[in-house]
Amino acid sequence: MESVIEKNKFSASEKNYSEDSLKKDERGRKITKYVLITISVLFILLMLVLPLVSVIVNSLKEGLAFYFKALSTQYVLSALGVTLLATVIAVLVNTFFGVVASYLLTKFNFKGKNVLSTLIDIPFSISPVIAGLSFIMTFGRSGWAKPIVDSINSALGTDIQIVFAIPGVILATIFVTFPFVSREIVPVLNTVGTDEEEAAALMGAGGFKIFRKITFPHIKWALVYGIILCTARALGEFGAVHALSKTRGGTFTLPLEIDALYMQGSADSITSAFAASSLLVLIAIAVLILRNIFEARAKNKS
Amino acid sequence: MYIELKNIQKYYGDFKASDNVSFGIEKGRLVALLGPSGSGKTTILRMIAGLEQPDGGEILIDGKVVNNIPASKRGIGFVFQSYALFRYMTVFDNVAFGLELQKVPKDEIEKRVLELIELVGLKGMEKRYPNQLSGGQRQRVAFARALAPNPKVLLLDEPFAAIDAKVRQELRSWLKKTIEQLGITSIFVTHDQDEAIEVADDIIITNKGRIEQMGTPIEVYQKPNTAFSASFFGQPSILPDYKKFHTFEERPGAEKAFVRPEFVKVTKKNEELFYKDSSVEGTVEQIFFRGDTLELLINVDGVLITARRGLDEELVNVGEKVDVFIYRIFVTEGEKAYLLQNLAIREESLVI
Repeated sequence: MESVIEKNKFSASEKNYSEDSLKKDERGRKITKYVLITISVLFILLMLVLPLVSVIVNSLKEGLAFYFKALSTQYVLSALGVTLLATVIAVLVNTFFGVVASYLLTKFNFKGKNVLSTLIDIPFSISPVIAGLSFIMTFGRSGWAKPIVDSINSALGTDIQIVFAIPGVILATIFVTFPFVSREIVPVLNTVGTDEEEAAALMGAGGFKIFRKITFPHIKWALVYGIILCTARALGEFGAVHALSKTRGGTFTLPLEIDALYMQGSADSITSAFAASSLLVLIAIAVLILRNIFEARAKNKS
Repeated sequence: MYIELKNIQKYYGDFKASDNVSFGIEKGRLVALLGPSGSGKTTILRMIAGLEQPDGGEILIDGKVVNNIPASKRGIGFVFQSYALFRYMTVFDNVAFGLELQKVPKDEIEKRVLELIELVGLKGMEKRYPNQLSGGQRQRVAFARALAPNPKVLLLDEPFAAIDAKVRQELRSWLKKTIEQLGITSIFVTHDQDEAIEVADDIIITNKGRIEQMGTPIEVYQKPNTAFSASFFGQPSILPDYKKFHTFEERPGAEKAFVRPEFVKVTKKNEELFYKDSSVEGTVEQIFFRGDTLELLINVDGVLITARRGLDEELVNVGEKVDVFIYRIFVTEGEKAYLLQNLAIREESLVI
């Protein structure tokens, strides 16, 4: 017991020395903090905020009347329709797939699990243009799947075209937004673990009941967040869709229409391009706000 | 026997988690599976529950082989180590979950759930969520949830591990009392010997996937019959050569000797010394204050022995020379353990 008291005395004599260096450390940390803040804020202003503001400013250069007229042309409206259609379908498909795949990857063990997990990420690492071209190679005139589509068409009496048609646009959008939902859910399911599900199963709950009552409440906010990211990406997709969509006013999506307007090169068409762009910027800001709301909610819940 | 395990084998890859495990538990007993981590105690519990399948052997509950009966049909209540409470359900819904699955009528569910919540002392907290409860309260909810469907057997995996010391003490006695009241056959897993001794009617000691010994707490504490149980209980010091502490009968084949702190008497030089001839001199190396006692580490000729002295006795100091007398030791011979009494005490009693 006595030795403990002696030890305390010893550490007391060290105190004066360490207080000085503590102050120095703190000052150093403060400087580092402000330097880092300055760098980040400048970078974000120059690279992100200013360009976006300039889009809005440019779109309003000819006045509000012109702005609304530019947005209500047949081409822009058609493009907006195609974009929304492709987005809705892509989000629905990928949400379903994302939940199924995440459940599979986190709740079951099987051979090739890591390979499957990596494959899901392919759209993240591959250029969207290549994705679009690969659909042409698959469903185009000389593609290997063309005969299959043709035979389905002749059997059902339909005339479904994939390449250079709306289905191709939708497929390309699905492809590029494939991983978003599952990438949000998988980490949540991994941290939650399987205890609660095991407990529920032990009490006699079936698979679907367990999912509905136990698993789903855990992933709810991650799922919403994943859907929002998926939506944002689907709305803005250019490269993959560009390869598969060639008809202005028919299969063009909003980003393609913006590109076409800009490429026309006249002052009016450029302002129209900015007007159409401002739509996407506004949607993006809305998505960001939604994202933050959901993120805060998810945090409160846990 | 109400629960019986017969020659259970379980492998995880090359690792043998259960090595020919056999034991039986009578109805209504509260049994502790006690062993160091990795000794296979949780595996045994999970196999009884049906959360794991044994690779060989039979598990019987109430005379029926349950190997092929799914976990949910075995009539088992399970309290998980982390409680595994349903985070997105209230206390009420957590406890009601099992009953709802059994399609019990709503008013009966309500009656039973409120009854259980009262039993575990959480009345008025039905509407709270698990994250609004303390560790001890969560544990009680887990307990109530496991009991709700009237299980035949209650299994608890390290039920007190995640609770702070003071609450743990309360919960232990509370759990023992409640389980006794209910009369439900229960098995709990623990690595804490004090907990096992205090709570359990019977203790099963596990080591390396095998059962070392089974018996009442007093039996396994006082009469360890394997080398492992002798070394596991108490805070034994190892004596490489017990003959140094003369007046112990020699046992041929004995390999190691263990001595527990309560078998050691430490006498200061100015105190009266019994059994002078069979005491040895040692130096106090370290002193630990344990609240109700002082724990001494004494160096006797290079061997470190842990001993205790009461706070009412005169204080000893580090470096002080003291006399050490050992009442009894456990010697081990292969897997077996034997108790040896100091002959000096016997002679004394003969004289009287």
